[in-house]
Amino acid sequence: MTRRLVVRVGVVLVLAALAAFAWRTRETGDKRAIRERIEALRTEVNASTRDGLGTAARSAQIGSYFTEDAIVELGGGSSIRGRATLMDMTARLQPRTAAFRLDLDDVGIEMMPGDVAADVILTASFVRRSSTGEESRDAREFALALVKTDGTWRISRITAIDTLR
Amino acid sequence: MLPTYQSGSLNLVNRLAYLNQNPSRGDIVAIKLAGPHVLYVKRIIGLPGERISMTEGQVYVNGAPLIEPYVRNRKPWDVPEVTLTSREYFVVGDNRGMRVSDHDFGRVDVSRIVGRIVF
Repeated sequence: MTRRLVVRVGVVLVLAALAAFAWRTRETGDKRAIRERIEALRTEVNASTRDGLGTAARSAQIGSYFTEDAIVELGGGSSIRGRATLMDMTARLQPRTAAFRLDLDDVGIEMMPGDVAADVILTASFVRRSSTGEESRDAREFALALVKTDGTWRISRITAIDTLR
Repeated sequence: MLPTYQSGSLNLVNRLAYLNQNPSRGDIVAIKLAGPHVLYVKRIIGLPGERISMTEGQVYVNGAPLIEPYVRNRKPWDVPEVTLTSREYFVVGDNRGMRVSDHDFGRVDVSRIVGRIVF
């Protein structure tokens, strides 16, 4: 009887610990939405024109993930300003970017007070497969600023971070 | 990190290597970017407080040339002198056969060093 009681208490304690861990590591709805949004953008970039969409349609799709006044700072003083410019560049670069695969790792999300803005840090890898099948990977760290407008999270700024300075 | 390590090879990182000691010159270390899943593998050539520069591909530490037998391809890189802070190391790969602009190297904060590459 006593032994059975000890087992039951043990099971309850383990379940309580698991519940506490799940509670502490849970993601809020907005964090989950941001993560899904970034993953959707990655899928969009990798889809390129393989699914039959033309370059203009694809660029418009990618552009919808950014705010009207979005800024992309690539480092070395070069930057892209405005969603229209970004879409134009995406359309022109698409034949070349189709040869790459974009991977995103270590996506860290920090919500700003009010839950209408968030900062994201991630590692973006551009993976290229050579004709011999060998993959080369060029990884870069980025900081993203996102804002929630009309219930949708959009990127307002992307800044390349120099891990090695 | 060619020729010491092949691109895409599987390497083991000792995350405990620097619990009781600081990284040393010549150590090959793993450096995190946004997190632990994508890492740079680089060699430490400069320690905190030192002055590092490169002239015609030769590394100078506090003005003295650094002997680097592990470097096989050496292009004539020129890097202006930098002085490392008390938290910074200078890291670079062993493959220096490309243009300097095509290689990721430089100062790194100690907090980004994940551990030492074992093999």
